[in-house]
Amino acid sequence: MARIQGVDIPPNKRVEISLTYIYGIGFKTALDVCNEAGIDPAIKARDLSDDEVSRLSSIIESNCVVEGQLRRVIQQNIGRLKDIACYRGLRHRRGLPVRGQNTRNNSRTRKGPKRLVAKKKK
Amino acid sequence: MGRSLKKGPYVDLKLLKKVQKQTESGSSEPIKTWARACTIIPDFINSTFLVHNGKDFKKVTVTENMVGHKLGEFSVTRKPALHGSHKK
Repeated sequence: MARIQGVDIPPNKRVEISLTYIYGIGFKTALDVCNEAGIDPAIKARDLSDDEVSRLSSIIESNCVVEGQLRRVIQQNIGRLKDIACYRGLRHRRGLPVRGQNTRNNSRTRKGPKRLVAKKKK
Repeated sequence: MGRSLKKGPYVDLKLLKKVQKQTESGSSEPIKTWARACTIIPDFINSTFLVHNGKDFKKVTVTENMVGHKLGEFSVTRKPALHGSHKK
């Protein structure tokens, strides 16, 4: 079991896949990291030697913003939008879709579960 | 899709002239404008605009963080949808 960047322990998968379990690393970045480390992306993560793990780890650390740090960056960007009160910031504040989607129906991901309104009695 | 870099940011020329005139004279009176599509450039920092939203003019004081956004982003054009009794 390998620990890269703190919490992540990618298990019996190919290195290229198990690296994507790190927040901020997708398939493309995982392949790039493997290439730079000179590691065959097709071998399983458990077969990595300690040396290889530390190599991957250091490459990720120097080239990518991942995990907590990335989450913080994203929150900061959203915070900035809210702060300057531009349209996107207002949408974030209200919990509505930010990129111009329709809100007549759906948009449940942003709006959360339905809030039913009591039907008026005749 | 983004705007071609070759052209640079879109800035309303008349508005830019007005801002420059103001910074020279040092007055900070709000500038009334309809140029919602105008990008906010560093020259605009600290000046105040009244940006038209189709009905009224909304006051926008430009801060450093706003650079790169458009003036219209700070002047909402829609009336929020309210349901039920929101009077009182």
